[in-house]
Amino acid sequence: MFRVLRWVALSVLLGLACMPVAAQDFVGSNVCRTCHPNVAANFFRNPHYKSVASGAQPGANVGCEGCHGAASGHVKAGGGKDTIPRAFSKLTPTQVVDTCLNCHASTISQANIRRSEHTLDDVVCTNCHSIHSSPSAKNLLKTEQQRDLCYGCHTTVRAQFSMPFKHRVNEGSVQCTDCHNPHGSFAATWNMGARPRMVDQGVGNEEPCLKCHVDKRGPFVYEHAAIRVDGCETCHNAHGSTNARLLKRPVIFTVCLECHTGRGNFGRQANGIPTQATFHNMADPRFQNCTSCHVRIHGSNVDPTFFR
Amino acid sequence: MKKILYILATVTALAQPPVAPTGEPVGSTRGDNTVGYNVRQSFELGYRYHSIGGDEASYRSTVNYCNGVRLLGSSLSMQSREGHGRLFDLLQLNTQGLGNDPYQNASLRLEKNKLYRYDLSWRSNAYFNPGLRADHGQHFADTVRNWQDHDLTLLPQSPIKFFLGYSGNTQTGPAITSAQLFDTRGDQYPLFANVRRQQHEYRTGFEVGLKGWRLNVMHAWVDFKEDTPVRLPGVSDGYNTTDLTTASSFQRNEPYHGTSPYWRVALFKESRWWAVTGRFSYVKGQRGFVQDETGFGTDRFGSNVSRQTFTTGNAQRPAAAGNLNINIFPTAKLTITNQTALSHIRMSGSSVFTQLVNGLPQVPYVPFQFLGIRMITNATDANYRPASWLGIRLGYQFSDRRIRSIQAFNAVGPQTPDEQTNGLHTGILGIRMRPIKSLTINLDGEVGRADRPIYPISARNFQAFRGRVEYKKGDFRFAGYVRTDYNVNSESISNYASRSRQYGVDGTWTISRTFYVDAVYAKLHLDTLGTINYFSRVGNSVVNVPTDRSYYVSNLHTANLAAHFVVRDRVDVSLGLSHIQDLGDGRSTPAGAGLYTALATFQSVQTFPLRFTSPQGKVSVRINEKLRWNLGYQHYGYAEQFSGLSNFRAHTGYSSVTWAF
Repeated sequence: MFRVLRWVALSVLLGLACMPVAAQDFVGSNVCRTCHPNVAANFFRNPHYKSVASGAQPGANVGCEGCHGAASGHVKAGGGKDTIPRAFSKLTPTQVVDTCLNCHASTISQANIRRSEHTLDDVVCTNCHSIHSSPSAKNLLKTEQQRDLCYGCHTTVRAQFSMPFKHRVNEGSVQCTDCHNPHGSFAATWNMGARPRMVDQGVGNEEPCLKCHVDKRGPFVYEHAAIRVDGCETCHNAHGSTNARLLKRPVIFTVCLECHTGRGNFGRQANGIPTQATFHNMADPRFQNCTSCHVRIHGSNVDPTFFR
Repeated sequence: MKKILYILATVTALAQPPVAPTGEPVGSTRGDNTVGYNVRQSFELGYRYHSIGGDEASYRSTVNYCNGVRLLGSSLSMQSREGHGRLFDLLQLNTQGLGNDPYQNASLRLEKNKLYRYDLSWRSNAYFNPGLRADHGQHFADTVRNWQDHDLTLLPQSPIKFFLGYSGNTQTGPAITSAQLFDTRGDQYPLFANVRRQQHEYRTGFEVGLKGWRLNVMHAWVDFKEDTPVRLPGVSDGYNTTDLTTASSFQRNEPYHGTSPYWRVALFKESRWWAVTGRFSYVKGQRGFVQDETGFGTDRFGSNVSRQTFTTGNAQRPAAAGNLNINIFPTAKLTITNQTALSHIRMSGSSVFTQLVNGLPQVPYVPFQFLGIRMITNATDANYRPASWLGIRLGYQFSDRRIRSIQAFNAVGPQTPDEQTNGLHTGILGIRMRPIKSLTINLDGEVGRADRPIYPISARNFQAFRGRVEYKKGDFRFAGYVRTDYNVNSESISNYASRSRQYGVDGTWTISRTFYVDAVYAKLHLDTLGTINYFSRVGNSVVNVPTDRSYYVSNLHTANLAAHFVVRDRVDVSLGLSHIQDLGDGRSTPAGAGLYTALATFQSVQTFPLRFTSPQGKVSVRINEKLRWNLGYQHYGYAEQFSGLSNFRAHTGYSSVTWAF
């Protein structure tokens, strides 16, 4: 008798385990449409509509319930934010990331999002993306232009792009994501890896500057080591500057002289960075524009002093 | 919903972009339905004008808008209503500045669900560099740079995807460069150059997913070519007219070709308790070149001289990098991330240098250079959230960099590189608080110590602090930001210290559906103090000044103001102001009293006070649902305090029609 009961109990348990219980919780996007017509009417424009159009994905990944969770409880309760399994305005930042990564973890550009500065600062997906009311043409951004989204928090960066000399971000020619990965990047391979952060590397993990300024990449027989070791920002302010050529100083000779001191164990040979030759009379304007003679300052194939 | 859109529009106004194109929409927001597609489009066609007073070259380098008819902006969107379009489900085309604006761009996305996705980006940037006087610049450039990027993803929603891509980058245009002839103490001469540079990148790859793991492989070939001929236009006395050197003829040809093929392999997985990302990349960069240079003239002693140099060689730079990121989520409140990065880059090159002076061959030499950089970085961050309103972040990072260098001339046999290592340790502490729903406070501090930085201005003993407070309630938003970076890199006879402090506040208030205002103020302070070592003439001889100091001070105040209001749901009026002012160190003359340096040349460049102001106004009138008329004006005023040579004032404006049909 006990043996029979044991088999019956086991059969019941197996039967319960095989029942599609979860499927009953999903009501489908058409039910949501009844009370949320404004959202549903424009949803075909949303990239997430692909999940509905494909018709091949399980209910947990489709339409409204794909992001907000099974809605049967919400429907039974007659609505209410508290009955939505995943109401984004009530989720913690970590929960928002978890929800979006259910699908978006498959993209390599977002592979570092867990350790990105944004995530660590609680700036998560819904801070920048608006799923239902995005005015942008791509990527469901909260603003029409990407720069405005970034400027919303990075006030001082916006000030830098208002300078007389700057990369043309406000003019629409350059975008923040040309150089940065807002979802987190790999460690920089220059400047001791500490900074800058969130910078998207170019080919061969080089600085993103070289994506556009291809003539500065080299390789050259004579490299200006400063560029390779500490990066372009050794001499330039990448966002914007009051100085021509985005230099850190208004004139070139102070940029050069601050490093070329000949002192200590600095430099690629660890014996001090070479000083200028003795005939350089700095009181003479002729010697004040270093790049007038040292023309190939980013690297040369012919001359170790970058003359040609 | 409307409120949200108005708030979003407010933020758009804040950026103070150029006055055109117009942001106000035309046409039905719901679009028009035709043959299974929903279509939305708008085109803004108009005329730009400008007038300049002062230095036009300076205007062209900073603003550069000119007169003419432009397609200021356009947008076309075709969206399949059911997601089953015949050739595509989405077509999205946007353009800006087409016609002859200095900054033109276009983007296209074409997509068919489950089958393909194609992205095109095209940009053109007209760059004018006048060689500003303040920069003592002698290098003019009037070039146009064009970029294009094409990316095609096949089967974008399947476990196996394929990628194809192409990127092109060209830079062409006239320029003036310089050359120094005929020996190391010779004069400099202006040379005409016809810039011709181009790069092509071809990409192919795939991504495959299996049991939650994803493998992404990319292979690409990057080809670069530069062939910029350089000529002396005629007999020249050079920049220094007091010496005896002259150049009667000069030409240089330097064809320079190379390729950088690279591989990138990434493996990553995201699960409930952990996530891991690994990446490895290898790029083999190499360049081959020939340089042929011929010059005739007189040397600094007044004797006739001819010089021909011929150089040929190769340069290589293979670079390998590996990354491993591990994320662990032991509880819902704790996230631990660890990142390890290893990079190794080797630069080597040799060239054969041959020179004939007055027809007599000089001893050729073969220089060899090697620079190897190996860096290992490991960073660990713990993000703990004890309560929903509180988060704490702790981080530690160390980097170890080894630099090996050889600089050899006519070296025989293997060379032993000079070697140095530099270690950096940093610690981070951050707190995030949200005591009430509308208030967010973020505070971060970082301290770093490097034992042997490579340059006097590199980070050595540094500390950084960052704080941000944001209050947002309803239609009102106010935020404050502060950031400080201090670095001291001093040795016994070399000192360098930099202090950077940045403060910013911004506020947005949507007073009503038809009226909002916005204001931003930021102050960027920078002062650096460093030892400099140079030569200067004292009496009849040039003497060494080994321990002078360069003390640079910048106090930049920036403000952006914007207001937008709507009159009777028909007329949109926008007003904006952008103001940049560097007060320098407060003095009113180039010569400074009480500065570290005694040389007047240095005193005048220790600060660079200037003002750059740009007010703008715009009116957009809705004539009917599909038509708008726009009129805008923007003024630019640039004024340097110590030198008025680059100053300018410019009036720019436009009138346009925005049309949807």
